[in-house]
Amino acid sequence: MPPESAIVQRTLEMLVLKALSLAPMHGWGIGQRIDQLSKGAFQVPQGSLYPALVRMRRRGWIKSEWRVTENNRRARYYLLTPAGRKQLGIETDAWEKASEAVNAFLRTRTLEDTP
Amino acid sequence: MSFFTDAMVRVRAMFLRETEERELDDEVRFHLERDAEERVRRGVAPEDARREAALALGGMESQKEQVRDARGTRPLEELASDIRYALRGLRRNPGFTLTGILVLGVGIGATSTVYSIVHSVVLADLPYPEPERLVRVVEKNSPTNIWALSTADVVSIRERQRVFAEWGESTRREVALSGTGTPSRIVVSPASSGYFRAIGIAVAKGRAIQPSDETAEAPAVAVVTDAFARRVLGSADAALGRVLTLDGVSHTVVGVLPPGRDELGGVRSEVWPALKLQPIVRRGPFWLRGLGRLKPGVSLETATADLARVSAEILPMWPDFRDSTAKLTPVPLREVIVGRSVKQVGLFAGGVALVLLLAIVNVATLVLVRASAREQELAVRLMLGAKRGRVARLLVTENLILTLTAAMLGLGLAFVGLDLAVAQLQSMPRIQDAALDWRVIALGIGAAVVSGILVSLSPIAALQGNTNLASHATGRRTDTSNRTSRMRAAFVVAEFALAWPLLVASGLLLSSFVRLQRVDPGFDPRGLVSIGVNLPSIRYPNDTTVFQFRARALQRLAAIPGVVSVGLADDVPPDPNHGNFDNFNLVHKPVPDGQAEPAVPWYYVDPTYFETLGIRIVDGRGYRSGNTADTLPMVIVSESWAKQFTPGESPVGRQLVQGGCYDCPRTTIIGVVEDIRNLGPALPMVAAYGSLVNNGTRSVEILARARAVTPSLLQTMRNELRALDPELPLVETVIADKVDASMADPMRWAAVLTAFAACGMGLAALGVFGLMAYTVRQRRRELGVRLALGAAPSSVTRLVVSRGMKYALIGSGIGLVMTLLFVNRIQTMLFGVSPIDPATFLAVAFMLAGSAFLASWIPGRRAARIRPMEAIGAD
Repeated sequence: MPPESAIVQRTLEMLVLKALSLAPMHGWGIGQRIDQLSKGAFQVPQGSLYPALVRMRRRGWIKSEWRVTENNRRARYYLLTPAGRKQLGIETDAWEKASEAVNAFLRTRTLEDTP
Repeated sequence: MSFFTDAMVRVRAMFLRETEERELDDEVRFHLERDAEERVRRGVAPEDARREAALALGGMESQKEQVRDARGTRPLEELASDIRYALRGLRRNPGFTLTGILVLGVGIGATSTVYSIVHSVVLADLPYPEPERLVRVVEKNSPTNIWALSTADVVSIRERQRVFAEWGESTRREVALSGTGTPSRIVVSPASSGYFRAIGIAVAKGRAIQPSDETAEAPAVAVVTDAFARRVLGSADAALGRVLTLDGVSHTVVGVLPPGRDELGGVRSEVWPALKLQPIVRRGPFWLRGLGRLKPGVSLETATADLARVSAEILPMWPDFRDSTAKLTPVPLREVIVGRSVKQVGLFAGGVALVLLLAIVNVATLVLVRASAREQELAVRLMLGAKRGRVARLLVTENLILTLTAAMLGLGLAFVGLDLAVAQLQSMPRIQDAALDWRVIALGIGAAVVSGILVSLSPIAALQGNTNLASHATGRRTDTSNRTSRMRAAFVVAEFALAWPLLVASGLLLSSFVRLQRVDPGFDPRGLVSIGVNLPSIRYPNDTTVFQFRARALQRLAAIPGVVSVGLADDVPPDPNHGNFDNFNLVHKPVPDGQAEPAVPWYYVDPTYFETLGIRIVDGRGYRSGNTADTLPMVIVSESWAKQFTPGESPVGRQLVQGGCYDCPRTTIIGVVEDIRNLGPALPMVAAYGSLVNNGTRSVEILARARAVTPSLLQTMRNELRALDPELPLVETVIADKVDASMADPMRWAAVLTAFAACGMGLAALGVFGLMAYTVRQRRRELGVRLALGAAPSSVTRLVVSRGMKYALIGSGIGLVMTLLFVNRIQTMLFGVSPIDPATFLAVAFMLAGSAFLASWIPGRRAARIRPMEAIGAD
């Protein structure tokens, strides 16, 4: 397993959940969709995507099935399960709380900052 | 839920590995194609696009590996591959595998069998509610002199005790059962209502004994076991209200015990009549078993103190009993029931533990020898980068497969062996409950796992110490690893050390047994037959009718052709359970006041008894019959009795007070007879014989000496007695069989331990054989060179044998010391042989040395036949 911090892993999983909450998608498509949705802000490290998908499958957040793409090719599509939808809510809340806290922290003015 | 999905995904990944891999393949390929297309669309040249896509994914194979890791099946897959590899290894070496499985399987089988016996006999809780509160109460005046309670005792305990929540009594009696088919004799246990309350077991049908059943006027009632109800009365439901005739008295069945209850409080009995106590006239006789259930929180010490107070209060009430040292004493019921078996079971357990240990050491030797043979393979693996931990795990896996298979075999053997063992050891209390339950299975598997790990330790240690990889990897079998060879030698030494205590113990028991068998019973059992009768008081209401029956029976039996002599006694030898011990006090040499009077087994015999058994009268005279019959209280004593109580003088003409009855007329000693082994071969021969002439006991044995005991003779005897009383149950005993039966227990101990010892010696021999055979194989080249340079083949054999003998001797030295430290523990099981019997020790030394010699001579011979050229050229 590549040296990957828990934060990165968790963020990646959140992004995948978000991407799949719109519609089922295959692995490559998930990467593309995250790219589009974030307007290029997030470049999904492709090497981490598939292991993450397996882990999420084990946790019961997503399931997979083989479907035919619009170009008539077989691909493994990932679908959000009810548990996954719930997890997305938890992750979003947690993220918002955490980012608020971080923002508040960063906005704090210390004595030295005061002109 | 999440755990469940996780497990499902993992299990699928595990068992549908092929599918899973194909899907992964497809998925990655799809990704790469799709990614490449996208790049082409953005203007990258098609050949570059593919490469870039692969690069972005971080390499196809490494991506797959990461996915495989994420599946979480990696450890399982490795285990599976370890198992596959181990199985292949074990199959390739069937000799090693089969020997290992057999050796350890037998060890585990024996251990499991003995453990289930130990568990049921010693360890298991007594099957009553809160069994730790139950105590048996006995009379005790020294640590070894313990006897039952009297009516006077129990009446006082009932009135005065303050420590028991419930209190009751029972006794055991053999009675004639009639009114339910063929008359027979059965053992019944009259018990009080308190006995049932104290034990805390409710009846399944009907009711238990109640206090109102215990009065003299109350109709006689009984509770029976479920087994008795089914066997004799048809069924448990049909039993209630049925009438059993016990010694001529009708008892109504009022209750049936739950199925499986064939004993209560350590008393095994099928019929439990209500106990009715007679009015008290003196302190004795002592005949009751007291059972108390302690009040919650009351300790044994408190109970002991309380009963001591009761003892002190009773003493002045009965002048016939003057032993102030005799105390009513509570003994935990568990100790009473289990205590007797602890020693025997402990011997078996110790023996089997040694066998198991030997088996493990033996397998460890095998494993180590095999590991040395694989040094090269393992070294190559290590050089190719396998982690030591991984190689160690491989070894452990392999050995665990071996030992777990052995455990399966062992448990199978135990399944068969347990029934055999239980059948052999039936006299042990509670052994019927021995079963292969989860504990035994856990023990067997536990033993396998522990031994699997233990036997892996040595090759792993060898692996750690093995730094000189290169020389191993090149395949030169130089056996430079001193460490492994020293370990192997240590194992063989240990095996011989462990075999010693086994062989010595079995040798001592065997020689005890032989000595026991050589013991002269003091009479000739051949041709002796006895028929026991118990005359019901309904049809034989007084002494006159009893005496009449006895005289007629003797007359009829004596008239049978082939019968030489007839006689009567209340018990026939040998009987280690003879119940009638009476105390006495010599008038001319009384015991000091306050001290216990001696008690000896007391038998009652008729005038022709001694002649029938062939016992000579050595001093004084025997009993007279007919008109000159002796009617005054008299006793005849054995030679051992005279030696012990009247040393240096003739006891004839001396008088004694019998049974503490100072108001009764004195009993006169009229004669001394030869000793016989009344209690069996190993017990003292002190005995007193009272006269049956004025003793109207209804239970007697009618003895006959015939020229030969034949079935037709027995039939004739039965017919003669039936002619006198057709309803009388008759119990025949061929005395020679009884003498043999008294040897049964010592023979079983000796047999079981000899089996263990044989296993032990075999394993030790196998160990030294394996090691020497291996050494010869390892040193083939060197031995070949020796032979080529002109060494005599016999000197090569000698070299191998002397090495094997060296290990055996060192092991024997250690074993000898170990044995000497512990051998005293079996002293009480020995007869006529000292625990440090030199002959036994010498024999053991010779046997072990002999087996070591043979076991190393065979590979030594092979060494001498090595063809030098082949051996040198082989590498």
